[in-house]
Amino acid sequence: MKRNETRSDVEEAVIRTENLTVGYGETVVLQGVTFHVAKGEIVTILGGSGCGKSTLLKALIGLIPPLGGSVWVAGHPIVGPDRQEALEAVRRKIGVLFQSGALLGSFTLADNVALPLEEFTDLPKALIDEIVHTKLAAVGLADYAQYMPMELSGGMRKRAALARAMALDPEILFCDEPSAGLDPVTAAELDTLLLQLNEALGITLVVITHELASILAISQRSIMLDSEAKGIIAQGSPRDLQEKSTDPKVLAFFHRNPSLLAQAAGSTTP
Amino acid sequence: MRCTPSAPFVLSTSRRYHEAFTRLVATPGLRTIVLEMAPVSTVDSAGAAVLKTWQKECGARGINLELSQAAPQVEAFLRFAGFFEKPTARPAPSKKRSPLPERLGVAAVRLWNDTRDLIQFIGGVTVAVGPCCFNPKRFRPREILYYIQQSGPEAVPIVFLVSFLMGLIMAFQAAVQLRQFGANIFVADLVSLALTRELGPLMTAIILAGRSAAAFAAEIGTMKVNEEVDALTVMGFEITEFLVMPKVVALAVSGPLLTVFANASGILGGIVVGVLSLDLTPASFILEVWQILTVGDVAGGLVKSLAFAVVVALVGCFRGLQTERTADSVGRMTTSAVVTSIFLIILTDAVFTIIFHVFSW
Ligand SMILES: Nc1ncnc2c1ncn2[C@@H]1O[C@H](COP(=O)(O)OP(=O)(O)OP(=O)(O)O)[C@@H](O)[C@H]1O
Ligand SMILES: [Mg+2]
Repeated sequence: MKRNETRSDVEEAVIRTENLTVGYGETVVLQGVTFHVAKGEIVTILGGSGCGKSTLLKALIGLIPPLGGSVWVAGHPIVGPDRQEALEAVRRKIGVLFQSGALLGSFTLADNVALPLEEFTDLPKALIDEIVHTKLAAVGLADYAQYMPMELSGGMRKRAALARAMALDPEILFCDEPSAGLDPVTAAELDTLLLQLNEALGITLVVITHELASILAISQRSIMLDSEAKGIIAQGSPRDLQEKSTDPKVLAFFHRNPSLLAQAAGSTTP
Repeated sequence: MRCTPSAPFVLSTSRRYHEAFTRLVATPGLRTIVLEMAPVSTVDSAGAAVLKTWQKECGARGINLELSQAAPQVEAFLRFAGFFEKPTARPAPSKKRSPLPERLGVAAVRLWNDTRDLIQFIGGVTVAVGPCCFNPKRFRPREILYYIQQSGPEAVPIVFLVSFLMGLIMAFQAAVQLRQFGANIFVADLVSLALTRELGPLMTAIILAGRSAAAFAAEIGTMKVNEEVDALTVMGFEITEFLVMPKVVALAVSGPLLTVFANASGILGGIVVGVLSLDLTPASFILEVWQILTVGDVAGGLVKSLAFAVVVALVGCFRGLQTERTADSVGRMTTSAVVTSIFLIILTDAVFTIIFHVFSW
C-alpha cells in the first residue's frame, strides 16, 4: 500500500480534521490539529502522558465538542448546528475501546456484547447469541461469557471491551491504549487481532498507544502529539520517524532516550 | 564555627538535629558554619531534608553553610536529594480566601446554574418519555421491574416501622389532650387525616430519598467514573432513555404503593393506642376512619406521593450524571442527591398545599 499523501488520499479520508482545537471549557489542550486517516488505514497516535491523546479521541467520537476548527468522521461534519444528527449517524459506524474498558458492571460479558446488537438491530435472539459467541471467541473469551466484568483481570476486560466495540462491525475502530497493562505476549496477541480485523474486514483503525513494539508492528502511519507544542509535531510512517526524523522529541520517543531531550533543551535555552 | 555531627542523619535523629540547629543558628554574630561530615556514614531522605532546611535558613540569615569531608555515599545521596542545586523558590500553595461578597456571588451563580441545569434535565427527560409512550418496547420492562423491586418491596420494612411509630406517637399525643374532653374517638380522625393527606406521602418520600435517590446517584456516578456512560453515549444510546427513564417510571409506581402501605401502617399504630389507652375497639376506630376519610383526601395524598417519587428519581439521576471522574465526587453527589431531594420534596409539598387550598380540595 502506498503511503504518500496525495489529493485522492485526502478525499478518501474517513477521518479528517482541519485546524482543530480541543480542550475542556477554557483550557486548550491541543490546537491547530490537521490530519486525515484514509479508509482501511491503521494510524497510531503517540505522545507523552498527558499530552492530550485521549482528549483528541473524545473530540473525534463526539464526547466533547471541539473548541474550534472542523472534524469529519465517516463523511459527516461533527461540528456546527447539525452536530447532534451527524453524531447519531456516525455512531452507528464507529466502535470505541476505552482506556479503562468501560464494560457495564452490572451485565455479564455476553450481555455487554449483546447490548448494542439488541438495541440497534432487530435480529432474533438466536442470531444475537451466535454473533456474541463469535466475537468473544475472537478475543479468546468464549469460556467467560457468563462472567461479570468484576471477576476478570484488567487485560481480559480490555479484550471483552474490544469484542463489544466490534459487535456491530464498525467501519472505524478507535482504541485508547489497548495494550496498556497487558503482558508482552497478550499485547502482541491483541496487535495481531487488530491487524486481522483490519485485513479481513477492512476496518480503519485509530490506535492510541505508547508501546514502541505495537507502533512498529501495526501502524502504517503515526501522528505524534506534544504537550508543549499543544499539537502535532510529526507524522509519517513509524520507520521513517524512527530513522529519519531530526526532531529531538520524536527521536527521544523512538529511541527511548530522554537524554536526547535534555541535550536539545540545553542547546536552545542557554 | 565548626560542628562535628557524629550520629547519622536519618529519620530517628532528624528531630533532635533540627532542634539543636534552631538553637545554634540563633547565636548572634554567626558568619560561617562548617559541618565536619566525616563521621557521618548514612543519610536518608529525612536527614537530607534537615540539611536542606538548614541550608535555606542559613541563606536567609546570611550565614555561610559548608559541608566538609562528606563520605562518597553521603555526598551521592545528597546530590540525588538536590542539596547541591541552587535552591529554587517553591511556589507557595495559594490558599487565599476570597472576600465574603465574592464567595456569596460565586455561590449564587453556582446555585442559579445548578437550578437551570436541573430544569433543563427535567425537560430532556420529558422529551424522552414522549416517543416511548408510542413504542412500549422502549420502556425497558426488565429494568423497570428491577428498580421497582429495589425501591418498593425492599423498602417495606422501614416504611412500616416509621409509619407505624408515627401513627402511634401521633395518637398518643392526641389522646392525652382529647381524653380531657371525652373526645377519645376523634383520635381516629386526627391520625387518619394527618397521615393520608400529609405525613404518609411525606415520610415515604423522605425514605425514598434516603434509599433510592442515593442509590441512583451512586450507581450512575460510578458508571460515570468508569467511563461506562461515555461508552453508552458513543454506542449511540440515549442516556436519558437508557439510564434515567426506567428509574423514574419505577419510582412512579412504587412511591404511591408504598404510600398506601404507609397510611395503613400509621392507622394501625393509631388503633393500637386507641385500644390500649382509650378503651376504643378496633372496629369503632376503623368505622370512624371510614366515615371521616373522603376519596379526595386519599387521592390528594397519592397525587402528591406520585410527584414526590418522580422528584426523588429525577434528582438522584441528575446528581449521578453530574458526577466527575473521581471517587470522592460520587460521595459528594450522593449526599447532594439526598439533600436536594428532601428540599425539593418539601418545596413540592408547599406548592401542592397552595393548589389544594385554592381548589378547596
Ligand atoms: N475532564 C477534564 N477536565 C479538564 N482537563 C482535563 C480533563 N481530562 C484531561 N484533562 C487535561 O487534558 C490534558 C490531556 O489529558 P489526556 O487524558 O488527553 O492525556 P493523554 O494524552 O491521554 O494521557 P495518557 O497517556 O496518560 O492517557 C491533561 O493535561 C489533563 O490535565
Ligand atoms: Mg489517555
